[in-house]
Amino acid sequence: MRYSTKTKLLAGSAIVAAAFLATGAATAQEATIAFSAGELGVSSYNPVTATLLNTANALIYDRLVEQDADQSYYPHLATSWEESADGMAWTFKLRAGVMFQDGTPFNAQSIADWIPDFQGTENNYLVDAIDAVEVIDDLTVKFVMKRPEPNLLYNLASTYMGVPSAAAFDRLGEDYGVSEAVGTGPFKLDSFSIGLETVLVRNDDYAWASELSENQGAAYLERITFREIPDQSTAFLELKTGGVDVLLGVPTDFLEILKEEAGVAVIQMPGLGIKYIPINVTAPPFDDILVRQATVLAVDRESILKSVYNGIGSVADNFLISSLPAAEVDPASNVSYDPAKAGELLDQAGWMMGDDGIRAKDGAPLTVKLFTQNSTDLTRLTQVIQAQLKEIGMDAVITVFDGSTIRDEYKRNAHQLAVREYDWNNSDILDWFFSGERLGYPNVSMWKDVEGQRLNDVAMKESATSEQRAANFKAYHEYILSQALFAPIYQPTINIAYNAENVVLPEPIRGIRFRSQTALDMKVVE
Amino acid sequence: MLLRYTFHRLLMLIPVSISISIVIFMIVHLLPGDPIDNLIRIGSSPEDRARLVTKYGLDRSLISQYFLWITSMLRGDFGDAIVLRRPVADLIAQNLPYSLTLGGLAFLFSSIFGMILGTISAMTRNRLVEGFVRGFILLGSTVPGFWLALLLILFFSVQLGWFPVSGARGWESLVLPVATIGFGGIALVARVTRVALLDAQREDFVTLLHAKGLSRGTILCRHLFPHALLPVVTILALRIGWILGGAVTVEFVFGRPGLGSLLIRALGQRDYPVVQGSLLMLALAVMLGTLIGDVAQAAMDPRIREGKS
Repeated sequence: MRYSTKTKLLAGSAIVAAAFLATGAATAQEATIAFSAGELGVSSYNPVTATLLNTANALIYDRLVEQDADQSYYPHLATSWEESADGMAWTFKLRAGVMFQDGTPFNAQSIADWIPDFQGTENNYLVDAIDAVEVIDDLTVKFVMKRPEPNLLYNLASTYMGVPSAAAFDRLGEDYGVSEAVGTGPFKLDSFSIGLETVLVRNDDYAWASELSENQGAAYLERITFREIPDQSTAFLELKTGGVDVLLGVPTDFLEILKEEAGVAVIQMPGLGIKYIPINVTAPPFDDILVRQATVLAVDRESILKSVYNGIGSVADNFLISSLPAAEVDPASNVSYDPAKAGELLDQAGWMMGDDGIRAKDGAPLTVKLFTQNSTDLTRLTQVIQAQLKEIGMDAVITVFDGSTIRDEYKRNAHQLAVREYDWNNSDILDWFFSGERLGYPNVSMWKDVEGQRLNDVAMKESATSEQRAANFKAYHEYILSQALFAPIYQPTINIAYNAENVVLPEPIRGIRFRSQTALDMKVVE
Repeated sequence: MLLRYTFHRLLMLIPVSISISIVIFMIVHLLPGDPIDNLIRIGSSPEDRARLVTKYGLDRSLISQYFLWITSMLRGDFGDAIVLRRPVADLIAQNLPYSLTLGGLAFLFSSIFGMILGTISAMTRNRLVEGFVRGFILLGSTVPGFWLALLLILFFSVQLGWFPVSGARGWESLVLPVATIGFGGIALVARVTRVALLDAQREDFVTLLHAKGLSRGTILCRHLFPHALLPVVTILALRIGWILGGAVTVEFVFGRPGLGSLLIRALGQRDYPVVQGSLLMLALAVMLGTLIGDVAQAAMDPRIREGKS
């Protein structure tokens, strides 16, 4: 009895001492991070039903596999996987000793409970190819497929496929993701105010990081506050005054100003999409492939990279970001800049240069509609494109729309040219924007073609393995390029700025975005 | 008498609300674009899209969609957001406190200082003071909110470090947004107060009061002010709706949640239930504000409630 009292006393003083030490330390291990503009307005941390998720979600949940910046896959909650030769089964070995933040164990049953939750949600397409989940043993799970899905690993690495605790998911129902969210990730949800901030605290038991982070244990940071700051100027001033330590998405035109700031460091990661000009093939004069080819040849991508983006990022040669295998098309398929050739093609098509510098055919001037969305970056880029089209004698009239209205215009087939962008690091973006089943929007080019649909079907449905899939998408991609359906412009970077006097970030950042691998290695400057 | 007047006015709110709900519904649904495109993600099939259109009843006729919405609203059910995936009532309840605090404080701030400034400007014989006040009023009614907000941030947060740049934690984060919104409000209230007081001063009874030998202070406080308060109360009452939804740009710059920001976000995504729910809330607030203003006027001026004026 006396012994136990003594132990308690000892333990008690140890806690007091520890607390004293913690408060005595020079810096608290806390950081404040501002979300990027694209991840504002998340209303729930339920990855199964959400249609928008943010970086905090990626820290609460772990995924079975992780994807690196070069698009390769790394084991995480799954230590290894095997695809059957016919693509009709996938077997995953799971990591041992992983616990959810509510104390329940992670095992094969967690996967079997989770996959069916997607049924009926907007995210069901992620698991649609999975027919059944079989628990082989405690740490082995097998997906029996309805059809081969060579894209399965990509889906599994998505933030939407962070694995939730089945116990919490079932217990909370509709409230799951709002009042509580339970994953196996390195940070736990502490509080969530929609539109304002999300506070995460460290998961002290974390010992199952992926190879993408150096730190294999619990995070150095004890607490991360994610803030929603919609105005870029305000976000910049917060960084400058120390109210925020990290900005996850800095517009490229802000980088020049940031460089002037003492103590601010910038990390650039490859972006996940491109900016481009879709060409409506049903709207004359663009029903003539010669006019489309001339339009593509008129875009001076190098000068845009230099003048609009200060040389940051890279030019886009085709429709896919360059790290994707299907982007490595035959170099002859890639676009080039050649205004002289563009002029020849237009002459050939019957559009002759007039005295006013605008071409005309049968008395009608070459005046076309150029649509864009109301973001500063896109409207500025559109003005440059307008000037470049003028060089070949094309008079482009700009109209600016909001994001919802412009889609209606596409569906009404009211457009000719547009300046757009997308964010998606997978070749199936070709299906999304060029499939004949989605004319208007997303198929802004309004392209429906027998050979195109055949190549699309082969790439989407008849690829059994990821190698086959890449080859099939490359063939589809080359055919799309041959039809001059769009003019690629620019591949942006993801720019992360941080206050180097307060925090240290690993460089380069591994993975496709700032996620748990980066948060695990992040430290506060002592 | 006042009770009957109030009851009568309350009854009139019913047809007005119904007409407003129809207008709101129609405007929202006739806007180009729809919420489904903001909901579906890259990779989903055209069939998924069609299924969602049916799921959210967007393939029904507008009339039947309206009746579905209005009947559930009458039962107190705001419905579920399509894109934001939460019950609309929850979203409004989460944003309302921020709007009420910011708007309420800005309202108080602008009312009090506006009336004081307006009175000074109307009463003072000092040209310099009057010129200053009138200059302030002119500035306040013309300077755009977002510009003033950035200016205040640069000076008070970046230079002096007195207040946080943005956010909604603690009273410190309220000072600059309240000052930004309040600045415009002060000018408005001051202008109305000034004009009302100047008008009142020209009334015959004031000349009589002066003739009776009452001091300027007594005339101002006991006679002029109650008289001049009527138009001021009307203006203030009309601003009640503004309190809730009018702070969008200020919320944007200071990174604060609020009904205005919720509405703008939902409008951009064509999240119909959210737009309809929050617009109807704002409309009701404006109507109630007007009602309160009218009742207050009636209480102060018997001619109004007796319908003689």
